[in-house]
Amino acid sequence: MIKKALFLSLLLLAGGTTIAQQTTTRDSTNTDSLLNSLSASSKSDPVMATFKSTRLILSETSETIKKNNLNFMVIHRFGDIAGADGGGKTFWGLDNSSDIYIGFEYGLTNNLDIDFGRSKYEQLLELGLKYNFLHQTADDRIPVALTVIGKTGLKPYSVSTNVFDDYTNRLNYFAQLIIARKFSSALSLQISPSYLRNNLPFPYLAGNERNFFALSAAGRLKFSKRMGIVVDYAHPFSSFRNNSDSPKFYDPLGVGIEIETGGHVFTINFSNSQAISPINYLSGTTSGWGKGQYRLGFTISRVFSFNKKQKSTY
Amino acid sequence: MKYIALILLVWLGNNQAKQETYVCKNAKISLFSKAPLEDIDATSTQGTSVYNATTGDLAFSLPIRSLQFQKSMMQEHFNENYMESDKYPNATFKGRIQEKIDTEKDGTYPVNVNGVLDVHGVKQNRSIKGTITINKGTVSMASDFMVQCKDHRIDIPQLVFKKIAESIQIKVAATYAAYKK
Repeated sequence: MIKKALFLSLLLLAGGTTIAQQTTTRDSTNTDSLLNSLSASSKSDPVMATFKSTRLILSETSETIKKNNLNFMVIHRFGDIAGADGGGKTFWGLDNSSDIYIGFEYGLTNNLDIDFGRSKYEQLLELGLKYNFLHQTADDRIPVALTVIGKTGLKPYSVSTNVFDDYTNRLNYFAQLIIARKFSSALSLQISPSYLRNNLPFPYLAGNERNFFALSAAGRLKFSKRMGIVVDYAHPFSSFRNNSDSPKFYDPLGVGIEIETGGHVFTINFSNSQAISPINYLSGTTSGWGKGQYRLGFTISRVFSFNKKQKSTY
Repeated sequence: MKYIALILLVWLGNNQAKQETYVCKNAKISLFSKAPLEDIDATSTQGTSVYNATTGDLAFSLPIRSLQFQKSMMQEHFNENYMESDKYPNATFKGRIQEKIDTEKDGTYPVNVNGVLDVHGVKQNRSIKGTITINKGTVSMASDFMVQCKDHRIDIPQLVFKKIAESIQIKVAATYAAYKK
């Protein structure tokens, strides 16, 4: 910044002195300095594309879907690669699917989108809003991007819980604040404190909390223009989960590779979490890396544009 | 004191020569390319230009981020993947008009401008054809030329090869006002 300003003032100075020296004939330095002074500084522009898509592995990113665009996602988690349920007899987990998520996100404005999705895990339906209310700027006047997510989950069927008497027991609520920063064109990191309420504790065990907080941390490091490594981790602050021995709970952790090709973003990953939705994985991740209970997963996302045709300039 | 001296110098400089510098702050610059899958079409009205009628010097600058695409995704990819606008925020052209133009006389003059086109941080010597129109003291300029992606090291990955044409048509239109300090 200071370098730029110095350079600019030097240029201006140079322009000034040449005018002084050659008052009758003007040279191109003058044109240059004039052009520089005319061009507005773009330093306060918002930083673009902190992440390539709205999802990493576990976490949602600070990005929202832009106005009148539809994002269609298919997220898949296979079965355990190793451990008791893995190995050759399940083709290293490829025979099983622990979760499948089909989701849609539609941009209401450039910063607000509405999301709908369904998970195989607990047959969870979810509806949410996501609002990117603060953008990081190039001059670091605003150093981070802030996004909030609010979601309601509905489990319409009793899958793994026997008590399912009251309809309100089927509802879950999830709120998250995403704090993201693009450190360079290659490195973006985010941390997201979140709050989860399950009207019926999940898993339905004595002592399990209905409400708890969690903290997620995720990042992406690009190693080429279109490919990057993604790491994604979440920790639920739940004394029940910390102390429970049977079942034992583990913090979800995923590592993967993100590939971007035009309108598609693919993520190929390994994670110990069976579920895809935070409502599920924050509550009930009982599979651990150390036990061989990690799985292959992928995310495919494709953005469709429904913007009305602008009048062509040609 | 230094500043006052500088301002004075600039002021003197401006006064001694005939007022022959023209500026444009809202040059319309658009790009277009026809590709098998989808046309790429973007426009900006934030180009800036300076034209010195005495020397024939002509300069243009365009903030890459100001180019508006119909598809926001395409705009993001254009900035992020192809133009790297965080590293190379502006495309510029600095050149000299080969013909002598009399700004007092109305008419349309075809011109050749020789200069340097700097796109994506890669400088190319170019000779670009255009027209200058003088109408009752108003100077306006128009040009239409091609830019090859490979000339400016704009890489197109194999996977999206078919979606993006390798040559892009650029259209420039600028109406100037006399520069007054």
